[in-house]
Amino acid sequence: MRNQGLDLPLAPNLSQESGQASVDLIRTLAVFAEAPASEHIHLWKTLGIEESPSASDYADIFLFQFYPYASVHLGPEGMLGGEAQNRVAGFWRALGRNPPSDPDHLAALLGLYATLSEQIGLVGTSSSELSHFSEAEALMITQGRDALLQEHIAPWVPAYLERIIEIATGPYRSWALLLDKVLRAELVRVGCPKQLPLHLRESSPLADPRTDGADAFISGLLAPVRAGIILARADLARLSSELDLGLRAGERRYALEHLLGQDSTGFLQSLAAEADRQAVGHEDRRELLGITADFFLDRALATSELLRKLSEGGARITAEIVS
Amino acid sequence: MNDSTHLSELNQRVSAAKAEVEGRGETFYPGASRIHLASYPPRERWNDWVELDSKSWPERVEKRYMLVPTTCFNCESACGLLAYVDRETLQVRKFEGNPEHPGSRGRNCAKGPATLNQITDPDRILYPLKRSGRRGEGKWEQVSWDEALDAIAGRIRTALQEDRHEEVVYHVGRPGEDGYTERMLAAWGVDGHNSHTNVCSSGARAGYHWWMGMDRPSPDFSNAKVIVLVSSHLETGHYFNPHAQRIIEGKKNGAKLIVFDTRLSNTATHADHWLSPYPGSEPAIFLAIASWMIREGKYDREFVRRWWNWQEYMEVVNDEPGASFENFEEHLREVYSEFTFEYAATESGIDAATLLEVAKVVSTAGTRFASHNWRSAGSGNLGGWQVARTLTLLNALLGALATEGGTFPNSWNKFTPRPPRLPHQHPKKWNEVTWPREYPLALMEMSFLMPHLMKGQDAYLDVYFTRVYNPVWTNPDGFSWIEMLSDEDRIGLHVAMTPTWNETAYFADYILPMGHASERHDLTSYEQYNGQWIAFRQPVLRAARERLDEEITDTRQVNPGEVWEENEFWIDLTWRIDPDGSLGIREFFESKKVPGEKMTIDEYYGWIFDNSVPGLPEASAAEGLTPLEYMRRYGAFEISNKVGRVHEQLVPDNELEDVRVDEMGRVYSRAPIPPSPKAPGGTKIDEDEDGRRRVGVRVDGEILKGWPTPTGKLEFWSRTLHDWGWPELAIPKYIKSHIHPENLESDQVPLITTFRVPVQIHTRSANSKWLDEIAHTNPLWIHPIDADRVGISKTGDLVRVETELGYFVLKSWITEGIRPGVAACSHHMGRWKPEGHKGQRLGISTVALNQEGSEWSLTPRKGGEPFASSDPDTMRIWWTDLGVHQNLTHAVHPDPISGMHCWHQAVRICPAKEGDRAGDVSVDTGKSQAAYEKWLTMTRSADRYSPDGTRRPYWMLRPVRPEREAYRLPLKTESAEV
Repeated sequence: MRNQGLDLPLAPNLSQESGQASVDLIRTLAVFAEAPASEHIHLWKTLGIEESPSASDYADIFLFQFYPYASVHLGPEGMLGGEAQNRVAGFWRALGRNPPSDPDHLAALLGLYATLSEQIGLVGTSSSELSHFSEAEALMITQGRDALLQEHIAPWVPAYLERIIEIATGPYRSWALLLDKVLRAELVRVGCPKQLPLHLRESSPLADPRTDGADAFISGLLAPVRAGIILARADLARLSSELDLGLRAGERRYALEHLLGQDSTGFLQSLAAEADRQAVGHEDRRELLGITADFFLDRALATSELLRKLSEGGARITAEIVS
Repeated sequence: MNDSTHLSELNQRVSAAKAEVEGRGETFYPGASRIHLASYPPRERWNDWVELDSKSWPERVEKRYMLVPTTCFNCESACGLLAYVDRETLQVRKFEGNPEHPGSRGRNCAKGPATLNQITDPDRILYPLKRSGRRGEGKWEQVSWDEALDAIAGRIRTALQEDRHEEVVYHVGRPGEDGYTERMLAAWGVDGHNSHTNVCSSGARAGYHWWMGMDRPSPDFSNAKVIVLVSSHLETGHYFNPHAQRIIEGKKNGAKLIVFDTRLSNTATHADHWLSPYPGSEPAIFLAIASWMIREGKYDREFVRRWWNWQEYMEVVNDEPGASFENFEEHLREVYSEFTFEYAATESGIDAATLLEVAKVVSTAGTRFASHNWRSAGSGNLGGWQVARTLTLLNALLGALATEGGTFPNSWNKFTPRPPRLPHQHPKKWNEVTWPREYPLALMEMSFLMPHLMKGQDAYLDVYFTRVYNPVWTNPDGFSWIEMLSDEDRIGLHVAMTPTWNETAYFADYILPMGHASERHDLTSYEQYNGQWIAFRQPVLRAARERLDEEITDTRQVNPGEVWEENEFWIDLTWRIDPDGSLGIREFFESKKVPGEKMTIDEYYGWIFDNSVPGLPEASAAEGLTPLEYMRRYGAFEISNKVGRVHEQLVPDNELEDVRVDEMGRVYSRAPIPPSPKAPGGTKIDEDEDGRRRVGVRVDGEILKGWPTPTGKLEFWSRTLHDWGWPELAIPKYIKSHIHPENLESDQVPLITTFRVPVQIHTRSANSKWLDEIAHTNPLWIHPIDADRVGISKTGDLVRVETELGYFVLKSWITEGIRPGVAACSHHMGRWKPEGHKGQRLGISTVALNQEGSEWSLTPRKGGEPFASSDPDTMRIWWTDLGVHQNLTHAVHPDPISGMHCWHQAVRICPAKEGDRAGDVSVDTGKSQAAYEKWLTMTRSADRYSPDGTRRPYWMLRPVRPEREAYRLPLKTESAEV
């Protein structure tokens, strides 16, 4: 991390002293998940990241490769909106807040986390003037913040950041590294969940095309909560390149179908290897996330197993998949 | 460095940077955010904002702007605008929302940005005009402001010197400001305030006033659990933009939205429960819901016990002094037992099961029940005031008044600051034309009856101002207005103060060009949520040039042509009325800093912002600004964002001195009124017999502030209505409308005329090309069943609609979006100018006006068409149909109690007859006199029913309040019959 040229005075860090989250840092990192603006340049510099991203960098990472929405990662369709987004909106409402237009956007979730952390700071202060929360409100804020982390952030953001760190270069890689560190600190403080969030418990695994049809199978591959893996456009490009297949421009689903049509056995095997590779990441997070990491590890391994079986099925399965 | 230390250090760096940026008063987290509203230029950059010039695309040409806030002047919401002033040319390039405005929060409807069209209207009036032919002939000459001011001031001065104060009348449309002009009239000693209220909101005001002592609702929609709208409030109406965004917030928070609208409006499409009742039956539904809640015990007993004036009711009506609350509850059940869902179903045409379902939803709201009625059914029907009164009954049963998520009275969510000089005198003479004895309880002036009252009283006005108001077009019976305005024996001098041409200005002697939203100063505060704010309208080019260190002493220096603003105009006019101060008027417009000099606008508002707006001096100082500089820079200031239950507040000890508590619990004190930053206003509650003023009401042993009603409680039973001749209506009841089926002939249907379209505003906006392109005509909404019945085969067919006075012709729109058996035609359209007149071309038809005795006709000669002007867009006008002026054919329908013009019409609809053309109007004003007299027979005049020999209950609201003695009726009347 570069921090040359910074000449800012250090403010007394009351929040850290009282064991609270790095609220301003989290807010800043949240803003970086928004479209970059000239106003952000000084913020990047403040964090010691000299080079700020361009609109093109932003578009590549957040609009093209890795969609920063909980609904994409935790929703059964792997798509923006729907029940998964409503669930997050409901969480906002349960905290007595108006959900913003994209309640499950990473920036909104981090912003909410920072706000709740800030309020916890107020609850914890010794000044009676600031302690304007009732006991019940204080409890709700604290539990709300921890639930937000464990249920709506932890299940997808660490894996998501891992993928960005792997693929991105420049400022967004630095951003992902830093945010990962911050979240790890928060997750360590909160501890592992005792129970899986309901939306994970109720989610179905990747569909088997032999029984559920090809549509459900391909959709599931692009739904991280089902497949346990995040398949970005960059992954498809890399795999197709390795197999010397032609990558069709278009939606990931469209590209997937065509890659399977060209060399189903080889491509299924490559996807299985990719699932195994991403499973390692889940394995590494077991200590940090506990049963949440277990869940995704199981999903990734199950996906790998299914893909291998399908690859052994030969032409018949291929025809089913691509039909 | 380990991770923890590293993160800690980074956080400290960000915190330090944040503190530094915020210390400069700037925004630290700028740009788009899904968490906070930040889709606006950060305010610290408003002085030099850079945008790419859209017209230069694809080249990237930077344009630099000064962003100057002001307040929209179209509807009464007073939403914040940001004018983008080009730093190179010092012209306004566009208007967007002002995110610093607490009411509108940066959002605007289409009418806000369209201010740009209004200020660049190629046909706008730029100079004072004086008629050069006979009145109404359309001949004008340009005159100087001095000439106009001297002529007008001279007449007023003479009238005042000759004690003809009642001959000076100021007739205002939507004021768009808070109290400036009322105070000026009070300074003149003239009871000449004449508002448009009785064609707008008297019905709703009356219903609220008799409950709460305040006459408007302020629902806290954002926090509501159940919302009831008797209106198309999500798209039009008072405060609709500030309210609509909060209604949607409420919905997003899970609130249920119940909409009463006979039409399938855009609002109805957003409802969880849309009810399309027969027009005027709404109170029957509300009473059925109330009756069910009472029977089922689904109401807040404690609130009712503490805050309703049930003891007074039981004592007077039931002759049970000292009755228990349980006795009252029993009586309450009985008194509303007739209002069953079945009865309401018969009246409304909505089945009883649906009404029960809605009642159940209402009953779940608790204190988070936000309801609203302003116009709609409240202004359409005889007895429409019962809509607000019965709707408020539901709030009062639920205890949902002045609660989070409930409905507040307006005054508690509004802040009108005290001005530097407050006229202490009250007009000595009562104006009989505006406050006739037949309507002693009206809210407010009986302005739309002027032609009839003037004739009936053989009255004469020496100087009559119409100020941004167009009664010829807006009021019912417009031809009677033309007759009155054309008669110089009735109106000596007619001065039309208007930013745009209008139908009334054609009949003026002087037309004085007044500024639009970005060309004038005004101060506003409106009840839009549970908070209080002020907003500052300002001439933006004046503010911009002052930022560049130019000294501007008169707004005309920056406005187009010689367009002026009213504040400076009134000060100047007043000085000319009383040049030497001998009339005792000028002193109210004199500088405090430099005695003997005119008060300047900077001093006037500077004083208010320095002294009368709590928190503003501190907020300004924090930014190193004076309060006036702060308001010029940001345009608005929020005084409070949570008001709460004012009635439950304890009266402070320093207001309790030599206290007396009467038998009804009203608390009187000799303590003087504590100084307040707010301008005085509101109801006037009488002192006790020993001269103590009322400070509150005792409830369960505590002295609380209570409500500004005669009892200090919520008046379920109104002694005012009871004592002034309406005992049968003293509690919330249902009055059958004049268009109730029982009152219609077999071939008549009710016509709804009150609804508006979201992008137009009365007659203020026809000069907005953008708005006109979106909405320019007003076809007749008719259900397919009715269309088939009367022989209309397809949408677009011409129909003739016959009213009491004549008929109008328009195109039909066959739609299932209207209740069968009811027709509707919107407001706004059918604007016109007589042949041979100059004036506005955009949105205006040229017509032939013909009169033969009392028979009038209006025949369109030229509709919409392209025309050459300084704006190339006027050559692109593609629309020709400009609608019909239906109001000309409406007879006056004054509600005998509220004074509201009951807009709905009983009409006959048939296919157009041979020779009929769209836009044709035919009227016999002889019939309008008969209609006026018919409705007059329903009144109960103060002459006969006043219980105390006065013209009007003294406690009730009145915009300009004459001195007490003027309230006395001139002749000794018979003792009251009640």
